[in-house]
Amino acid sequence: MKHFQRLITLHLLTASLFVLCNSAFFAHAASAPRSQRIVSLAPSVTETLFALGFGNRVVGVTTYCDYPAEARKLPKIGGFMNPSLEAVAAKRPDFVIGVSSATDPVKAREMERLGLKVTLISLASVNDILSSIKSIARLLGSPEAGEKLVDKISLQFDEIKKRVASAPRRTTLLAVGLRPLVVVGGKNFINELIFLAGGENIAGNADQPWLNLPDEYVVAKAPQVIIEAGMGSERGDSAKHWGDLKSIPAVREHRVYAYQSDKILRPGPRIGEGLEEIARLVHPECFAEAKRGVNKGKGCEGPRP
Amino acid sequence: MKVLDRRKMIFVNGVLLALLTLSMVACTLLGPVHLDLSRALRDLSFANPDAEILFRARLPRVLLGVAIGGGMAACGVVLQALLGNPLACPQMLGVSGGASLGGILGLILFPNWLLPIAGGLLGEISWVPLAAFLGALCSMTLVYRFSLFHGRLHPYHLLLSGVIFNSFIAAVIMFLNSIIDFYQAQGLLFWLMGSLSTRAYLTVAFIWAYISFGFLWLWAKGLSLNLITLGEEAAMQLGVETGALQRQIFIASSLMIGAMVSVSGMIGFIGLMIPHVMRLIIGSDHRLLLPASFLAGGIFLCWADTLARVLLAPAELPVGIITAFFGGPFFLFLLYREGRKALTL
Repeated sequence: MKHFQRLITLHLLTASLFVLCNSAFFAHAASAPRSQRIVSLAPSVTETLFALGFGNRVVGVTTYCDYPAEARKLPKIGGFMNPSLEAVAAKRPDFVIGVSSATDPVKAREMERLGLKVTLISLASVNDILSSIKSIARLLGSPEAGEKLVDKISLQFDEIKKRVASAPRRTTLLAVGLRPLVVVGGKNFINELIFLAGGENIAGNADQPWLNLPDEYVVAKAPQVIIEAGMGSERGDSAKHWGDLKSIPAVREHRVYAYQSDKILRPGPRIGEGLEEIARLVHPECFAEAKRGVNKGKGCEGPRP
Repeated sequence: MKVLDRRKMIFVNGVLLALLTLSMVACTLLGPVHLDLSRALRDLSFANPDAEILFRARLPRVLLGVAIGGGMAACGVVLQALLGNPLACPQMLGVSGGASLGGILGLILFPNWLLPIAGGLLGEISWVPLAAFLGALCSMTLVYRFSLFHGRLHPYHLLLSGVIFNSFIAAVIMFLNSIIDFYQAQGLLFWLMGSLSTRAYLTVAFIWAYISFGFLWLWAKGLSLNLITLGEEAAMQLGVETGALQRQIFIASSLMIGAMVSVSGMIGFIGLMIPHVMRLIIGSDHRLLLPASFLAGGIFLCWADTLARVLLAPAELPVGIITAFFGGPFFLFLLYREGRKALTL
């Protein structure tokens, strides 16, 4: 009998220990989620994740993800348009975040079929970019980080808007390639950035995000500023390319800039800085005077060019 | 072989030449932006937008389009005869692939190199066309080597090695496209689709000189081309040195195609379609077919490029889309209407 009692006690002890362990495990799971694993399918998404402070949870990025510097060292899961399905799955991510216009929808569906949680964000406009920052933050469980980052960007926007507020709007052409001439069209967040920077995109009436523009259109629209932001842009080359079209005000007034920058081209958390870069090119006078200590936003009306 | 009818020759070429002249004038005046001709001609000196649109943006384009369209059509005619294949076209020789690869390597590696012409006296041009032309020369040599069969250029070998070489090059280009920068890849795609956009009269002059020389040379071979379409053996019996002729035509047309692809990328369909259309209309005597195809090719590309500039304005469409889009149905219509005649080369 005594033996039987001892056996029961032992069993109860084991069982309670087991329950205890289990409940401890569940309690742990509920209070602090085991660290999330995130795969980013676009350079802008990678930047957003790092800017939100989730950089340490990113376990895979594309070969184009080069900012911030830490992102370069992360394992690569393939290109921007063509991520490798196996490489993504092998990272056992809790979240896969891509861009709706770039990530191959067939691949996204296949990833979902493998049981991965795929989120595609839209980055077609400045509003899209800001709301995607918020939605990524919400998705990863800290909406307040998203709000904070968006507030920071909005402040940067307001600052620039204030500076160029009284400046005359300058017609602008922003190109990413010269041969052939590939420029920013109307359905592009950069079109909005140009407007916010006090410019007006001469190809803004085009329905495409990027388009090939004939030279005659540029001559007819007579842009006052030409920015070439593509890779491998060199100042001398860009100026030479337009040099023979002296009727274009930008050419006559030496406002042709070759300015290679990811901040302008990438729809990520650095668009505030990108906006400032565009504004400095479109309205350098507004920034020069601020340096000399003159009131911001005042005095950069200048003579209408 | 029928004697060449001189009156028909003069009539057909005269009509086409008149149409070409009209088309060139019309296409120079048409475009996505308004052009005030009187204002353009009033002041040519400095910074006159209308003059710049007319003389810098449109005229060089139209001139280039005529040369490329004509050259492509003429090459199509001789290649179809040379290879004895109605599907032969300038894109088939492997030369165009080589030129594309050369151009792309030039674009990727040194996108901003400029070549000073005559020590910078005549300005500078992009070096990409030169890289493309070098690529064309290399691929021409390679395809030629692989097409030699018992020391002679063999049409089937030429056709196969050209096609296979081109698909190999296409794979290399896709590979390059997937490893380069995203924005560079986009520019490359536009370059590949072909465009007649140019402002350099020097390039236009170079292409015209090149194409006219090649064309006249091919035209001089018109009679031999007539004979070779009867079959190689028949031509040989009639006194044509087929081996030498094939070699000469291959080299001449390759050089022309290389130069054309170098400046304007791959503009397809003209070389395939225009020769067939002209055969259906005026018959297949190469002494008449060659100049008529040249003129018709020029007219066609001239209008296709104008449409490419206007249709989706302000965006410019790749001109290859227009050539295929309008050329294809028109060709099928002709084929249907002339269905009673058997197609011959």
